[in-house]
Amino acid sequence: MSDTQAGTNPYRIYWVTWAILLAITVAMLAAEEFHMPRWFLLVFLVVFMMVKATMIAGNFMHLRYEKRNLAVMVGLGILATSLILYGFVSRESVHVLQQTIR
Amino acid sequence: MHDGGHAAVMEAHWGGGAAPFGASWQKTMMWIFIVTDALLFSGLLCGYAFLRQASTQPWPKQSEVFSIPFIALMTFILITSSMTMGSAVTAARLGDHKKARTMLAITIVGGLCFLGCQAYEWSHLIHEGARLTGALPGSALAAEGVPPVFTQAFFVLTGFHGSHVLSGLIILIVTFVRWSMRKTPSQGVEMAGLYWHFVDLVWVFIFTLFYLL
Repeated sequence: MSDTQAGTNPYRIYWVTWAILLAITVAMLAAEEFHMPRWFLLVFLVVFMMVKATMIAGNFMHLRYEKRNLAVMVGLGILATSLILYGFVSRESVHVLQQTIR
Repeated sequence: MHDGGHAAVMEAHWGGGAAPFGASWQKTMMWIFIVTDALLFSGLLCGYAFLRQASTQPWPKQSEVFSIPFIALMTFILITSSMTMGSAVTAARLGDHKKARTMLAITIVGGLCFLGCQAYEWSHLIHEGARLTGALPGSALAAEGVPPVFTQAFFVLTGFHGSHVLSGLIILIVTFVRWSMRKTPSQGVEMAGLYWHFVDLVWVFIFTLFYLL
């Protein structure tokens, strides 16, 4: 792990990550108060959710210090599978909704 | 393989030879477990998306059903416990036994607080009439027009996550005791940490997709 070698304070990265995560969480909570369009709120929340997830995986779980193939297996594997699954599910949910309304 | 060749393979991004991820078997297995567990939650969240998108009843405004500041407090507790867990892992690696022990203890307290909050939230919602099958007829939630799929998604998502917090807490307590008795190496703390951070990671998705969106 290079974080303990590179910086003077090896614990600093946790405090900094914690502070950024809290700031993002507050921004996400406050977003609804601004009455922005629904689609914009959706994109805003999903983007910040992914930023938070990346920070936790990279800094807290030390994935950024691991070999790249481990990070790719974990990150891309979960993301690609989830997107494919959501794609199928989303299509089917529209179909079911139309059938129900009919 | 010559030593030089082996080193070159290990240093390459896509190499690794007998250790393709350049990590110990314990860490590799923990990551594989985390990937499979993440796919479980991915499936649950996609199931929730299906229920919500296919629902003919309007989805209730979360702030009218839950206390969002309370959920924010739960998020704060979990993020903070993740930070202390990271510090415990680094302290253990640096051989700072006392600091690692203190940070592990704070993480356990954070986990207990989170579970307490979740128990309170569940009790409150059950009192309001929420059941796994939907809102009880005549209850406060039924009056608000909460569809059955809403309470189903709530109990399944938070229930699965809560069970992970509980198992994470058991792992942390065992690690704390073993670390205190100097019976576990720093890698034991690191493995417990990976699992605990994963629990935090999953909450990020549940918090955004279920409570905010």
